[in-house]
Amino acid sequence: MTRRRGRGAPLVAVFLAFVAVVFFTLPLIGLLGKVEWGSLWDNLTSQQAKDAIRLSVECSLWATAISLVFGVPLAYVLARVPFPGKAFVRALVVLPMVLPPVVGGVALLLAFGRTNGVVGPWIYDTFGWQFTFSKSGVVLAETFVAMPFLVITVEAGLRTMDRRYEDAAATLGANRWTVFRRVTVPLIAPSLFAGAALAWARALGEFGATITFAGNIQGRTQTTPLAVYLLLENQQQVAIALSLLLLTVSITVLVLLRDRWFGNVRSA
Amino acid sequence: MKRFMRWVATMAVIAAVAAVFVSGTAGAAKNKTTKLSGTITVSAAASLTEAFTKMGADFQKANPGTTVSFNFAASSALVQQIQGGAPADVFASADGANMQKLVSGGQVTTEPTVFAANALTIVVKPGNPKKIKSLADLANVGTISLCADTVPCGKYAQQALTTAGVTIPTDKITKGADVKATLAAVSTGDADAAIVYLTDAKAAGTAVQAVKIPAWLNVYAIYPIAPIASSTNADLADAWVKYTVSPAGQKTLQSYGFLAPPLQ
Amino acid sequence: MLDAQVQVRIGELPIDVVLTAADGETVAVLGPNGAGKTTLLRTLAGLAALDGGHVTVDGVVLDDPARGVYVVPERRSVGVMFQEYLLFPHLSVLENVAFPLRSRGVGRAEARRRASEWLARVGLGDRAPAKPADLSGGQRQRVALARALVAEPAMLLLDEPLAALDVGTRTELRRDLRTHLASFPGVRVLVTHDLLDAVALADRLVVLEGGRVAQEGPVAEVTARPRSRYVAELVGTNLLRGDAHDHTVTLTTGGTVVTADAADGDVYVAIPPHAVSLHRQRPEGSARNVWHGTVQGADLLGDRVRIHVLGDVSLVAEVTAAAVADLGLHDGVEVWATVKATELTTYPA
Repeated sequence: MTRRRGRGAPLVAVFLAFVAVVFFTLPLIGLLGKVEWGSLWDNLTSQQAKDAIRLSVECSLWATAISLVFGVPLAYVLARVPFPGKAFVRALVVLPMVLPPVVGGVALLLAFGRTNGVVGPWIYDTFGWQFTFSKSGVVLAETFVAMPFLVITVEAGLRTMDRRYEDAAATLGANRWTVFRRVTVPLIAPSLFAGAALAWARALGEFGATITFAGNIQGRTQTTPLAVYLLLENQQQVAIALSLLLLTVSITVLVLLRDRWFGNVRSA
Repeated sequence: MKRFMRWVATMAVIAAVAAVFVSGTAGAAKNKTTKLSGTITVSAAASLTEAFTKMGADFQKANPGTTVSFNFAASSALVQQIQGGAPADVFASADGANMQKLVSGGQVTTEPTVFAANALTIVVKPGNPKKIKSLADLANVGTISLCADTVPCGKYAQQALTTAGVTIPTDKITKGADVKATLAAVSTGDADAAIVYLTDAKAAGTAVQAVKIPAWLNVYAIYPIAPIASSTNADLADAWVKYTVSPAGQKTLQSYGFLAPPLQ
Repeated sequence: MLDAQVQVRIGELPIDVVLTAADGETVAVLGPNGAGKTTLLRTLAGLAALDGGHVTVDGVVLDDPARGVYVVPERRSVGVMFQEYLLFPHLSVLENVAFPLRSRGVGRAEARRRASEWLARVGLGDRAPAKPADLSGGQRQRVALARALVAEPAMLLLDEPLAALDVGTRTELRRDLRTHLASFPGVRVLVTHDLLDAVALADRLVVLEGGRVAQEGPVAEVTARPRSRYVAELVGTNLLRGDAHDHTVTLTTGGTVVTADAADGDVYVAIPPHAVSLHRQRPEGSARNVWHGTVQGADLLGDRVRIHVLGDVSLVAEVTAAAVADLGLHDGVEVWATVKATELTTYPA
């Protein structure tokens, strides 16, 4: 890319960008400034912290897995299969992204609540499953808010990939499943990784829907964000330690994503 | 570039005019001592939501030109906000411990007034499907919703349970951030029972059913109120505090289920 | 053996083409862009469905809307070499060539062995582990060919096989491709807009214009006796049409041509540009055909110049650059064009 000679960087844009960067950095600096580094390890290994971390890891991974299993086919159908009302379906899929999480939690309660829900009582009577106040409720709430990120990312990847490769594979004798497995998926791998990472990060940070739908039971539904919220008052250092942990994990994921998995696949 | 400069100038003029306006009204509020006017923010415990809202309307009607806005949350959360510099004019707490934090911290410099009292009750789903009759039943009936440990009603609930010798397994307790959320877990959610204030049970009406905790096991929660030292409208803040202990204010509080305060 | 009648509509263009080819025969489908060549190829491959007609290969019906038969591409025994090769970028060269075998259920070791053999056949045995992006255009073309042939299809389709290459590589690869095609026992259908490719690789030509066959036949005959302006321009010859009586042809555009061979009725007259001589004055001589015209444009082809002459009989004449300079043949200059009757060909329209 050749540079245009004689012009410096646009000053106004650089200044505004600088303000934006400061806006994002200051809270992080504030957090780092408050950490008591000496007792950090003890704080992170306190019982409540350990319970919260274990729950967060388990539930966010489950939520990501479920998002992949159901989200990729959904993305495929949205990208490739024509059907009436597609715009409405897509709006529905994106809805959890714009809905305030607490509202999402209330909605889940009114659908899956064991006593008041639309299908909750039936599910409880038929299968004996209760989602509220259980780990499965946490996974459900996290999947609800996280799956849209994966669907949108993968759908975009499917739309922009070169579909002639799929034609070529068909003429070479591959049935539709083989085409999907050996040609489509490798070609959309970057958007698959990005979508899964985004969904996982969103699931990890979910608060409003979790506390409203799955409740706040230590060891069972009190994920890290919930623990931070409750510990902020009388065990501030544990809350700060957990916040630091979440922050580090998020930054690591984002940096890894940027480097390795956002590159374009070169076509022959 | 010219258009940008013009925009900056316009913004500066607007900002200057607004500043004059704001300082003008603030100054005006300070000068008038005979008639109450201006705005105050009252940070009050969540259990006071319904009663204070009604009292605020009555107060504003009786004192035209005044505005009372409310900020309801758990008392412990409000203390954190005020100590962090939030601009509240009055603080009404559900226990003495939280008020003491502000006294020790210097945010409250006058002696607090106790204006109401409260007690706990168990709430269950309408019809009491799990047949809960006492605190002891809570130990093995299902999921119980309690306030978080640092919230006054959470502390009170622990107190009552300890007095009654009842231990609820940890994996059966869901903790609410304030007493309203704690109650909602029973009224809207799937919790089988919650321990909240009498006033909350009354406010929830038919959404829940109350199960009495006998007086000898119950707690007596006292509600102190005080103006915040850094308030910019000390007159109006004091007036509000006086209103809560006035006959009119007391009548309203008791109509919502609050108990009369102990004699000072 | 291919037996097809392709009736399909693409946008505004209705395509109706009868195409047959025997085993071991290479048929080139030639035509300008938009004539429907690619659509034709896609229907043979199964990537597009017919509206009417049928496609039958070695007696197996692959597509017949009237009878409700449609075989999906992955079930057809058809190998396709695409214009941009479409080698899978995430697989190695060897895995690319092994892909058709693996897709058909051949075990990995066996598939790789056969793929290696084919790579060796096209001269890329040592590049097996490389990725397509590491190869040159010509090498990729060979991999694409190996990949199309490894599963031994009954028919091979080639879509502009040399278009993605620069001129130098193209000549060399044209020869290679011809050798490889010759050893393929099945039917070969090649789609191209380049006459050189068609002439070098094909036995028969099918000229497609506006969705229909304008002319078909053995390569030599089509190029010697073009029946449409498109082919004539492609071949680079002058094509006139008229009504013949004995040795005289009255052209549809006016003017007359004297021919060496007698003919009757509606005929084409083909005059190679190199047979046209240009004079500044009306010449005397044995040439029976002398026409008056004006120079309207010239094309330089190395040391030869093609002069466009507008007149009763409009022609393209091929002369040397020296002649152009000597005679001063600029735009607007009046010239006399002559053609010996023995130099032109007449054939029924």
